[in-house]
Amino acid sequence: MNSLTVLKSTGLCSIQDLGRPHAQHLGFSTGGAADEYAFLAANFLLGNQNNYAALEITLGQITLKADCRCKIAITGADCQAQLNGKLVKNWQALLLEEHDILQLHLPKEGLHSYIAVAEGIVSTSWLNSRAQTLNELKLGFTGHAITSGSTIELNDGCFPIINTNKDVKQWDILRTRTKFLGRHFYQSELLILRFIPQALWHKLSSQAREKFCTRQYIISSNSNRMAYRLSSNGTSNERVNIKETGAKLSVPVNFGSVQLPSNGQPIVLMKERQTIGGYPVLGVVMQTDLFRLSQKRPGQKVKFLPVSLIQAQQQLLSFYQKFSNSS
Amino acid sequence: MLNQSSLSNVTFIYTSENSLLLQWQDKICQIQHQQIINCQKEIERELSEYIVDTVASYHCVMIYYHFEKISVVQLEQAIKALFTIIERNIDRQLVTASELIIEIPVYYGEDSGWDLAQLAKNLSLSIDEIITLHSERLYRAFAFGFIPGFCYLATLDDKLQQPRLSSPRTIVPKGAVAIAEKQTAIYPDAGPGGWHIIGQTPLPLYDVVNANEDTSQDKNFLPVINIGQQVRFKPISYQTFCQLGGELSLVDSLADSQISPINE
Repeated sequence: MNSLTVLKSTGLCSIQDLGRPHAQHLGFSTGGAADEYAFLAANFLLGNQNNYAALEITLGQITLKADCRCKIAITGADCQAQLNGKLVKNWQALLLEEHDILQLHLPKEGLHSYIAVAEGIVSTSWLNSRAQTLNELKLGFTGHAITSGSTIELNDGCFPIINTNKDVKQWDILRTRTKFLGRHFYQSELLILRFIPQALWHKLSSQAREKFCTRQYIISSNSNRMAYRLSSNGTSNERVNIKETGAKLSVPVNFGSVQLPSNGQPIVLMKERQTIGGYPVLGVVMQTDLFRLSQKRPGQKVKFLPVSLIQAQQQLLSFYQKFSNSS
Repeated sequence: MLNQSSLSNVTFIYTSENSLLLQWQDKICQIQHQQIINCQKEIERELSEYIVDTVASYHCVMIYYHFEKISVVQLEQAIKALFTIIERNIDRQLVTASELIIEIPVYYGEDSGWDLAQLAKNLSLSIDEIITLHSERLYRAFAFGFIPGFCYLATLDDKLQQPRLSSPRTIVPKGAVAIAEKQTAIYPDAGPGGWHIIGQTPLPLYDVVNANEDTSQDKNFLPVINIGQQVRFKPISYQTFCQLGGELSLVDSLADSQISPINE
């Protein structure tokens, strides 16, 4: 069997793809790769299909052993990966020989790294996806959690044979892809979260809207794949508050919904969110900014800026087009 | 004919790049909810090539669509055209929920209903009165959410309405039948929760089946209760509970797990 063995994992590692498209009506979150940019890039570097399952590693600290020859790509947070003790580049495809050891360290910045393998990872599919959600692991719908000692099964084509001129040319094309990718997608220190406003936003006074957008919010340590909790300094009077009358009925929520509970500290819903929620929603952060947000750590700062629906759609369309010529 | 409100009053909210929230009046109402479910089914069927998923709740339905295939303007036109057909076509309006009533056997007792005694005190009712008020009513399944298979049922008798626990439990047992505000629900799996537990059911709330007979690779999730269906709770004895395969979870018999940020 073609496989990778996890020799040691002290961080968090899961199998991810683009998530479960048709699952929310049953109360399941869509799940899926937190940072689709790095996830898609990893498949892109290998000429894989976009949705092939890959490993999502949070905060590095994993050691893998190749049980066969295979071609992989590492993207996302830079974990100073070492192949048999020698530093290898991030955002690049590389070849592993049988018995090779790949070690990922704690990244200096960013959260999630992705390791894709040529032809993808073999694992249990659930609701048309191989994505694992932390909350549901114990329900046993998907495969087991990946920990020290786990075996990650690979497909037969994990080491494409390069022997014809055409293969060589194809490999060369893939190798040039690395220069289109990388850190430029992510923003520096202060990430601006562009959001599509909802009715509640327009009901706020212009002062309240200005206050909400000029303020810097700090990502709280209580943030994860479900939601990012933000906090701002200052007294509660200085925050934007929503006066709610009576209990609100729960409404389906989006990837990126900006909830504003009564304490005035916004919550941005992420991939493993609940499917419906009752807190007032100011708007929805556009998805390309959510991929950027998913790489931010507690303590880092963000700001909000309203954006039109059309702008957000155009951004997302061109984002996916970037990866559409893979194969 | 049902006394339905006009579909021209439905609000269109384009919440994200690929989602449209159709919102009706802010109320828990069986007739309005049936209209929402009917519209949801029509949209899924007639516009299937553009639709990814639809998620209904009490007074709204979220439509996830392929935004790269259809513009906001086209989608709105298509749905409004569909609404006109639905309103003109009495047959389509009369599509109602299945007559089938889903019966959930519940063992109500002070051992299974962890909050029953305290609730009786708070509500100035006897335990028997709480059981009667909860089990004599027919509920409607309004929404799924919180965790897989967790179905929001309404409307609870006014006499039973209580806010959620001020401090949610880190673990509520699988099969717990609970109430909060105007709603009742069954916890399909053990997990955190802040509703008042009044009993436990031995009935599993979902089944996992192979999507294709020839392969075990993809599986489907089949909930016992579906949105729009009617539900009734049937009181059973401890003996029947055990005969039906129930395993009673007593207070503190479950180890506390980590506090989860999600709660119901």
